[in-house]
Amino acid sequence: MATNPQEEEVREAAITRESEAAERMRYEAGAAVRQTSLWRDAVRRFSANKAALAAMVAFVLLALYCLIVPFVDPYDPNAVDFSQAYLTPSVHHFFGTDQFGRDLFVRTALGGRISIGIGFAGTFAIMLIGILYGSISGFVGGWLDNGMMRLLDALYGLPYLPFAIITLAIFGTVNFWTMVIALTIASWFTTARVIRGQIISLKENDYVRAARAIGARWNRILFRHLLPNTLGLVIVFVFLELPGVVLGEAFLSFLGLGINPPQASWGSLAQDGYSQYLSHPYIIVIPSVAIAWLILSAFFVADGLRDALDPRTAEV
Amino acid sequence: MALLDVEDLRTYFGTRRGDVHAVDGVSFSVEKGRTLGIVGESGCGKSVTALSIMGLLPMPPARRVSGTIRFDGRELSTLSERELEDVRGRQIAMIFQDPMTSLNPTLTIGTQLTETMLRHLDVSKDAARKRAAELLEEVHIPNARQRLDDYPHRYSGGMRQRVMIAIALSCNPRLLIADEPTTALDVTVQAGILDLLDELREQHDMAMIIITHDMGVVAEAADDIAVMYAGQIVEQAPAEELFYRPEHPYTEALLGALPQLEGENVREGRLTAIPGRPPDLVDPPEACRFAPRCPYAGLGDYCTVEPPELRELRPGHWARTAHPVSERDEAIVETAR
Repeated sequence: MATNPQEEEVREAAITRESEAAERMRYEAGAAVRQTSLWRDAVRRFSANKAALAAMVAFVLLALYCLIVPFVDPYDPNAVDFSQAYLTPSVHHFFGTDQFGRDLFVRTALGGRISIGIGFAGTFAIMLIGILYGSISGFVGGWLDNGMMRLLDALYGLPYLPFAIITLAIFGTVNFWTMVIALTIASWFTTARVIRGQIISLKENDYVRAARAIGARWNRILFRHLLPNTLGLVIVFVFLELPGVVLGEAFLSFLGLGINPPQASWGSLAQDGYSQYLSHPYIIVIPSVAIAWLILSAFFVADGLRDALDPRTAEV
Repeated sequence: MALLDVEDLRTYFGTRRGDVHAVDGVSFSVEKGRTLGIVGESGCGKSVTALSIMGLLPMPPARRVSGTIRFDGRELSTLSERELEDVRGRQIAMIFQDPMTSLNPTLTIGTQLTETMLRHLDVSKDAARKRAAELLEEVHIPNARQRLDDYPHRYSGGMRQRVMIAIALSCNPRLLIADEPTTALDVTVQAGILDLLDELREQHDMAMIIITHDMGVVAEAADDIAVMYAGQIVEQAPAEELFYRPEHPYTEALLGALPQLEGENVREGRLTAIPGRPPDLVDPPEACRFAPRCPYAGLGDYCTVEPPELRELRPGHWARTAHPVSERDEAIVETAR
């Protein structure tokens, strides 16, 4: 077939242009795909979860309130002024005042600092102990696992709150850190158990065998290959344990075993209001709502984080 | 001297019913630069053989009853776990059957690729990363540099197996053990992976062991083939020799069960199945283990009474049978039919 060489050239050029364009497009598509890392993915998926996002906003608002208000509120949280006692919420005192005339808006914020602080410190301690105990037990296996689990079974028999009370009694003083220890000491068992179960099932995975086949030592396998795979579970447990610790603290304070006055936590604030709940219901309602607010938002955040952070649920 | 010399390897698993003789007296050697294919049906001890060499079997229940594993003149079976860890991945690397689960879903491909190098070689993180990108290119993954930061779920099955191969090669091992490397993959991807393995074996000057139940795979990839049955090697020969002049009735039957599309004597009609099932390895037959399924057994000779030895019928061609094809009496064949 006779073809005009010029035509031939034009056509070839067109083909080259076309394939170049296709190449570029493919490259750009590849670049776009690449930009979504695990964390970017997680943020995107978390934001898509409206309930979790709302809970996160609620959580942050609560935290900001606790952090900022004590700095900007004009009232001294510990100043006693009986002429100002039992003021109902108004523009001067948003949350009203208590029997000593102390401003509850700033006291609730200060109480929140202590409640949330104890919650986070306690949860951190629970996770640390639980993960260490559970992962070693599950990873080593054999008689050590057996022994550690039987010990856990025995400890499981300890009733949580009485044990916390006894612990506080042994310390003799109640402050932030003794509260954390008392609330942690009998509440890490479930975490340890769940982590152990997870590690046992994870260590049968092919990638663990593959890691052993490249000569990886046990510590690398445990800390690099197994524990990151429990991340989803750990995050869920953080936000499940957090409300538990906050509740435990509130409960102890409500019983009068908590933080010493004039310091306050949400539990002790609620306790203050308990005796006048008919005449001045806002005194007990406000700290209770704060506790519920924290717990609910923590649950929803946990749910959203779990879905967002698990790379195995990632869509491609 | 061969690179790997396995002699009289016996690995048993303790169970409540007694010991399972998973690998029972296996000997073979792999020369530098050659590929040995180990074929056999499920449960014949192929993978256990490989895992025994690597020392990756959980003990207990597994137990090495006897055998020597000499790698490059060094006895592996007496090394401590610590010393073995230094051999694994550095000298002997292994890839597994299922690439979908062999990569950790929570670590990036780059992390998993550099892991071996950082473990065994004295290299910086940057150097390891650079090498990782080169390795990904070597296994033909496009856009290698960018794809290092991806998590495994962004890779297809074939690509993951390529990554596994790249990981295995990252420290230039002397021996690569591929345990069913293509079984979990699509047929169209299989050939690509096998070609890649062969190409890389040459480039890296490695020896290779390919374990498979697929005759097609060994035909394509192996220089020598060992056929395993019930924990023993029943026939061993160079690949061509084994395919064109099989001696053991089991090999014969295996080849007879393969569909054939072309060649001089294209078989027509139904494929022949092997009657019966493999023996119970807790209590294997005293004599020839294939005897219960062998069409020639029990026809006036010793093989149902005492076990036949592995004999060299032709140079380099070994078989463990009383009735190799080349010695078979016409009369017996007639009776068997």
